[in-house]
Amino acid sequence: MKNLKKLIFLSLLVSLGLALSIIESFIPIPFIIPGAKLGLSNMVVLITLVVFGLKEALIVGILKSLVFTLATGSISSLFYSLSGSTLSCITMFLVFNYFSNVFSLIGVSIFGAVAHNTAQILVASLMMNNYKIFSYLPVLLLTSLFTGYFTGLASIFISKNLKKTFPKIYKTN
Amino acid sequence: MTKGDKYLIIFIVVISLLSLVYVKKATTRYDEKYILIQVDGKDYKKIFFGPEVIGKKIPIETEFGYNLIEVGDGKVRVIEADCPDKLDVKQGYISNPGEVIVCLPNRLVIEIKGDSIDEDLDYISH
Repeated sequence: MKNLKKLIFLSLLVSLGLALSIIESFIPIPFIIPGAKLGLSNMVVLITLVVFGLKEALIVGILKSLVFTLATGSISSLFYSLSGSTLSCITMFLVFNYFSNVFSLIGVSIFGAVAHNTAQILVASLMMNNYKIFSYLPVLLLTSLFTGYFTGLASIFISKNLKKTFPKIYKTN
Repeated sequence: MTKGDKYLIIFIVVISLLSLVYVKKATTRYDEKYILIQVDGKDYKKIFFGPEVIGKKIPIETEFGYNLIEVGDGKVRVIEADCPDKLDVKQGYISNPGEVIVCLPNRLVIEIKGDSIDEDLDYISH
């Protein structure tokens, strides 16, 4: 039962990410780009990655995608969000683990957002059998810079705070 | 925010701007040119350009008359017609989007159409 705390913390993170995703889907983006999102839930995955590690972050990301599909009921978006969260998770892990002396959490978050968008575009082009969807990628990349920057900034504050208030969680890692 | 972050941001901005320019170029190059053949105002056939249709001759036999068109590399012309003045044959090749060959006696219109990507959004969902 020593993992109980971790289990509860992870499920809290999943529900937090889910809530953020749903809130985010209410916010219209003031651009004309289809598929552009704030990526607030990316913050949760990033925090999980920082606090726990790759496995837990993957669990949170995948669970969040699955439950989000259940909540909104759009099956087709499941593949996009699953592929996006998996790839961005792995990318963020690689960057965070091996290049954390070069990039701060902002850079890690931007990498994650870029990977997320690339994976989604890749899946979309495979599903629709149309490589031209890639013409959206540069625009999406530009927006992912902004969203990635701000989620990264927020994650820095969150992880600082977590370290102060819940030092025990870091130890379970 | 470290130096690496700044370089990363600059790198991504440059890359995406460059590819934006490239995409803009690619979409206005009319890669998706196609020939639209209409007889009596109705669509008769659509032919997409490609290596497999180069040199292909397509006969158009309708109740209004007979024409034989030849597709080239990104261009098309009429080589035979049974209309009296044969204006469509004399016109030669057309290759740019928007150009048309008309054979009035046979009620035939051959037009080159070009699609650019941004034109046909099916839907936007949020």
